Amino acid sequence: MSATLFTASLSIKRAVALINEMDLNRFPLLLSRILQKLHLKEERTFSEEEEEKLQAAFGYTSNDLDLVLETLEFILQQAAYHTAKPAVLGEQLKQLEMNEDKVQKIVEAWTNGARNLVQKLKERTVHPNQLEEVKWRLNLQMAQASQSKVKRPNALFQLGVRSDSTGKKDNIRLEFTHEELYDFYNQLETIQKQLDSLS
Amino acid sequence: MSIIQVKGSGGVAGLERTSFVGARVPPEIRAMIKPLSKLDKNTFRSILKVITAEIQGIEQSFADLQPLLGETLTEDGLAVVYCGLADLVRRALKLPSSSLKKENLIQDLQDLQIPESFHEDLVALVVGSKRSQIDSCLENNRPRLPSLENLSWRTDVAISTGVLNRVLVRGVTMEMTLSDGSVKDFEMSVSKFQELRFNVASVLSEMEKLEKHSILKIKD
Repeated sequence: MSATLFTASLSIKRAVALINEMDLNRFPLLLSRILQKLHLKEERTFSEEEEEKLQAAFGYTSNDLDLVLETLEFILQQAAYHTAKPAVLGEQLKQLEMNEDKVQKIVEAWTNGARNLVQKLKERTVHPNQLEEVKWRLNLQMAQASQSKVKRPNALFQLGVRSDSTGKKDNIRLEFTHEELYDFYNQLETIQKQLDSLS
Repeated sequence: MSIIQVKGSGGVAGLERTSFVGARVPPEIRAMIKPLSKLDKNTFRSILKVITAEIQGIEQSFADLQPLLGETLTEDGLAVVYCGLADLVRRALKLPSSSLKKENLIQDLQDLQIPESFHEDLVALVVGSKRSQIDSCLENNRPRLPSLENLSWRTDVAISTGVLNRVLVRGVTMEMTLSDGSVKDFEMSVSKFQELRFNVASVLSEMEKLEKHSILKIKD
């Protein structure tokens, strides 16, 4: 039993009609570009310049082009969301009355690009801060104002955390003595055991 | 030819060893010797107590020293004694206890002409039972980057997101409370967590290698 990917709304019907009329030659290129950009949240699939060229190439108005692009994006997003089998995708597209030739191209593009896309979507998180980078430095403290001949090992860690919302990187700087580092290590080991039990 | 032992401006007790106060007696210490010798033992002890507390990071105020003022001790006199004595104590505590032996300490105090009756307290401070506590305070007050006070963590499996119905990806979320009070929270993928864990383990093993290194075994 597979989910219904699409309901035949008015705009979808209109989009399918437009798609059916499209020149088949440039269709695969269109699809592969859409697939490439699908996992990115903010980026436009096509620049304004490119959209104007597409309008000219396909003979579309700006609105029509928007509708076609949005619908194709939607089709692929839904396929990704349900991790749909290519055959299922093909079936449901035919039910929308899309022409065989276009259906075939979409299914082909999906078959080739699905794994990559799903992988990228899996990596998308909602939490604002991500640990990006781990840097460290091992020092031997030789002295301080109040003590000479110290010889105390210490480790500096710099954890680069990227904020998803601002895009900025915050560097968390920590210092550990041997004992402190050992405690931290034990905590990480405990976390690892938990992760192991989840796999 | 006779061997001349030079004393006075330098504290050279033997021909090889330099006094713990340094090759030249610092002016603060030199200035305090005379006024110090006029003090009675209790006054000396009180001043020493205040100095010891100050070194350990416990704030002292003038009120702690005020009662000592009187006929024998003016404010100026107290200032000179306090500064000189504090400097003396700091220099003695600066060297690790393995470097400054008791006999040498006593020898140096004698050379400085510190009254004999005061030696006992000073020696007890520098090599006595309280020394390790003082060393801990000095160590803890060193300048440093924040330490990790507390680590709260969570492991998760992302089941589903707005863009993907079946995700099933594991992740680790951490909340670090640092010694400067700041709280940092972030998450990471399993592979990033492994990287963190690997790095921590590497540093630990490097640290252990370092501690076994001969440079740490030099006795000075």
